[in-house]
Amino acid sequence: MRYLWWLTRCQPGRVLRGSLLGTAWMVGLSARPYLISRAVDDGLRTGDTRALALWVAAIVAAGVGLAYLGTMRHRTMTFIREDAKARSAAVVLRQLSRLGAALPRRTATGEVATVGGTDVDRTGQVLTVTGPGVGAVVAYLVVAVLLWSISPLLALCVLVGVPAVGLVVVPLLRRLERAESVYRQQQGELTARSGDIVAGLRVLAGVGGRALFARRYAARSRDLLAEGYRVGAVNSWIDAATVALPGLFLAAVVWLAARMAATGEITVGELVGVYGYTATLVVPVWFLLEGGHQVIRGRVAARRIIALLDARPDGVGGPPDPPRDRATDASAVPDARRPEAAGRPTATPDLTADLYDPASGLTVPTGRLTAVAAADPADATALADRLGRYVVSDVTWGGVPLTRIGLDEVRARILVADHDAYLFGGTLRELLRGGRPGSDDARIVAALHAASAGDVLDSLPDGLDTRLDSRARSLSGGQRQRIRLARALLADPEVLILVDPASAVDAHTEARIAERLRAGRAGRTTLVLTTSPLLLGHADTVAHLRAGRVVSAGAHVDLLDTDPAYRSLVARDDAEQVLR
Amino acid sequence: MSGLPVADRAAVRRATRELIVRDRNAVAAVLTLHTAATVAGLAPPWLLGAVIDRVGAGAGVDAVDRLALAIVGAVLAQALLSRYAQYAGHRFGERAVARLREDFVDRTLNLPVSVVERAGAGDLATRSSVDVSTVGLTVRDVVPTMVIASVQLALLFGAIFLLHPVLGLAALAGLPTIALVTRWYLRRASPAYLAEGAAAAELTETLTSTAEGARTVEAFRLADERIRHGTARIARVWAARRATLTLRTGFFSVVEASYPLPIAAVLLAGGVLLARGQVTLGAVVAAALYLQQAIDPLDRILQWTEQAQRGLASFARVLGVGQVPPERAGRAAVPTDERLVVRGARFSYGDGPDVLHGIDLEVRPGERLAVVGPSGAGKSTLARLLAGIDAPRHGVVSIGGCPVTDLDPAERRRRIALVTQEHHVFIGSLRDNLAFAAPDATDDRMRAALATVGADWYATLPDGLDTLLGDGARQLAAAEAQQLALARLVLADPHTLILDEATAALDPTTARRTERALAALLTGRTVIAIAHRLNTAHDADRVAVLSDGRITEIGSHDELVRAGGAYAALWRSWHH
Repeated sequence: MRYLWWLTRCQPGRVLRGSLLGTAWMVGLSARPYLISRAVDDGLRTGDTRALALWVAAIVAAGVGLAYLGTMRHRTMTFIREDAKARSAAVVLRQLSRLGAALPRRTATGEVATVGGTDVDRTGQVLTVTGPGVGAVVAYLVVAVLLWSISPLLALCVLVGVPAVGLVVVPLLRRLERAESVYRQQQGELTARSGDIVAGLRVLAGVGGRALFARRYAARSRDLLAEGYRVGAVNSWIDAATVALPGLFLAAVVWLAARMAATGEITVGELVGVYGYTATLVVPVWFLLEGGHQVIRGRVAARRIIALLDARPDGVGGPPDPPRDRATDASAVPDARRPEAAGRPTATPDLTADLYDPASGLTVPTGRLTAVAAADPADATALADRLGRYVVSDVTWGGVPLTRIGLDEVRARILVADHDAYLFGGTLRELLRGGRPGSDDARIVAALHAASAGDVLDSLPDGLDTRLDSRARSLSGGQRQRIRLARALLADPEVLILVDPASAVDAHTEARIAERLRAGRAGRTTLVLTTSPLLLGHADTVAHLRAGRVVSAGAHVDLLDTDPAYRSLVARDDAEQVLR
Repeated sequence: MSGLPVADRAAVRRATRELIVRDRNAVAAVLTLHTAATVAGLAPPWLLGAVIDRVGAGAGVDAVDRLALAIVGAVLAQALLSRYAQYAGHRFGERAVARLREDFVDRTLNLPVSVVERAGAGDLATRSSVDVSTVGLTVRDVVPTMVIASVQLALLFGAIFLLHPVLGLAALAGLPTIALVTRWYLRRASPAYLAEGAAAAELTETLTSTAEGARTVEAFRLADERIRHGTARIARVWAARRATLTLRTGFFSVVEASYPLPIAAVLLAGGVLLARGQVTLGAVVAAALYLQQAIDPLDRILQWTEQAQRGLASFARVLGVGQVPPERAGRAAVPTDERLVVRGARFSYGDGPDVLHGIDLEVRPGERLAVVGPSGAGKSTLARLLAGIDAPRHGVVSIGGCPVTDLDPAERRRRIALVTQEHHVFIGSLRDNLAFAAPDATDDRMRAALATVGADWYATLPDGLDTLLGDGARQLAAAEAQQLALARLVLADPHTLILDEATAALDPTTARRTERALAALLTGRTVIAIAHRLNTAHDADRVAVLSDGRITEIGSHDELVRAGGAYAALWRSWHH
């Protein structure tokens, strides 16, 4: 609720204008029946042409005025809602960008789509109550006064009756929504299935089975049809009730008013007026009931947004990060990360320091190309996580525990390039440069060359300006891998840790990558986790990791001779007999 | 890249007519019921007019009671009639939608793969999700609403004409401006709303990918970049929403300002007619109330026209899929044996340059051929020609003397299977995911197939073959999915297998495990393996080196190493 209040408070002028316009518009709605009833009473019934012309002119003028009010109300309310949505989207975006690796992968993505889409929308929708919601209350009171002046008895009937009918009808409509939701869910599943068939079309083309899938889909479609019939039977009754109940109520009011007109208690014009007011009152009452529902839904949505905003990066040790301003800070305009607070107890290892991992016994010497061949790929990723400080560990850098160095500094100086690192959508240039302004096209092309990805660039229609969707789905697995490598090389960190950088490319390319990696990272600290003999052959030293520990180390050629386990791990020739 | 076709207006009209004609009894019933319901709905204002006339004439309470009862009766009749009308309409809509979506999937399944690939899978995916749902929404919700509203409008205006023709003419006063502004609005609305939807989808995409790539964001310190990127997206959504708002502002202000015009005209005309004694006061009041009533259906029609227009556009795209000629049925040719022969094959994608320049190749039954070469040499294209997915522009690819593209597609797939690194797990049970490769396979055969490819994860599944896989259910890891694909092949049992980098997307250890599984599958079959791991080549009967669309070297591994060419050099660098 505080969040909703914050969204409202951010735009006081607009909200005030919305309330005023909403009120004027709602009240204006009751003007037409009033004017028509006056035209009937003063003009038509008495045959007074001048009075008739006057009232008719008033009807037209009121209509135009109402159209203006209605349009302005809609505009203002749209701006209020959109402002709220944009603000929510901005804080969610900022939070997501900051959470980083702490954002648990699986659970978050589906949740994030809901929060970023539905919840942001629903929260924005709530603000509708600030305009028409306020207006509805006022309009209701105005109609009450008008009716009261005709007949207190009629006024009581209408003022109590309309909300009562509303209270009966609205829950019926909710039921309708619920019945529909089952149908919609099934429909969604069916759509997913046809999408699934489209996605798997190539598999079906390769192995066959199209007829089976057509039959299976048709059976599901029939199920949905049956469900649709069922929903239709229920819904048509509910719909009929929502027509009949207000209609019957209106009939009762007319009956009562007509009897009063017959006995002369009210005029014929007033009878027409009562009919009109009763019909008009539906709008504000409807808004109030709908508004109530929106607030309930919006609170749930706002709570989910807040839950996401409250998530904190999990601690990977180290000195406290610079204080992060609360996400619901009134200035939703994102600003750059605050510079690190001065005088914090951070230690800064100099450029000649070695990285040392006590858990495996591995030392990564400065300025050299080191390779690790791990028997179990899980050991390799765990090692990368420790060296990059994605988990708390005893790793030291130049003798200083990694956890005593500011996390920002670790990220700036040590880069772990995962083999499945995410590729964001955008132009290839943006993708590679990743927001670092310093990289000009010449450096980008050089990095692509170093990653042996020149042919990827050549194959794209607009070169570096070619737009790729997220995950670069239009590229092949091997192309994506080389793009990732190019991005890591372009970032040019002090320490680069590459996880399986060439597993999806052909042997020719792999050989080229190995050569160029060595040249491109000359004099820089580089660690490659791989079992490819081509890459291992170019490393200064190779460590053989088994059960999480370094069991042997040395040059690739030496290890091939001295360590039979190493040989069987990396020299694939005698390990597998694939085609025989 | 040539997109899938879109049906023209005539085809859309034809298809629409067909939908109605196929179910004409239902359509007639729906229209009749709606008309009756609307007539019943017209009664209350008319009865109110009668009340006014009687009261004006000094009638007593009894007359009022009778008329009021009649109003109650009319309301009940309207409710009942509209219930049945709606139900009948709903059923018709459901049937039509079901037929449309089933037709669409049938057509999709019969599309030749090469057409889908050339058009881009995205196009077809959009049609299957967005367009089919849009058409569904239109047929199920929009069309009925429009039909009901149109019937109501026609009857309301008809009733005013019946009260008095001059009143009827006066009632049309607001229509010209509404018609004009609607035309103006419709021309601009669809693209504007589509842009708005696209902008919103992009924003969601940005948020989702930021979450998915959270670790990468941290590793490459992309937080500021992501915020900048996302803020630009938010600005774009805002701009798109503003654009549609401007459209609505113009549209609705004119429409709403037009609503009082007919009421005013009717009252004025009524005044004149009343003075001449040509109508009663009740008739004028009833006409004014009818017009007030007409606002609601008119509003509904105007609100939905844009959606209806979009529905038509989607319908044209859905129908377009059916206009692609289905995969050639082939000439039911029967190959004499399993010998694969390629003669002088040249191939180019679309009008592009040739990627294969005259390939000659013969693969004996039971032989294992490895194809190696740098990226872009045309290895995958060759695989597609061998599998009959594409036909050579020049030359011939034949099996047992018949061109592979002349074989019946089902027959061809029974003989030759192509396995790529792309694998797809279908939504459904594990059994569903296997059965389509061999519809008559027993559970035991399926389990045996899984065992053959080393899918030991099968044992950990809670419901065995009934375990649900795919989105929202158990997700298979890449290696498991690849093994599943291989198990399908065991069941399909083709005599020729083309493996196009089948294990390239897997990490080395898993790839090794999968390759071991593959070995079990390959015994006794002709195998053409496109490989980037040279050990595959080492173990093959023959190795073909493909470079720039030509076979530059071919022979056994030992021969090629002895020949000292490009292959030998590569082998040495790889093998040390």
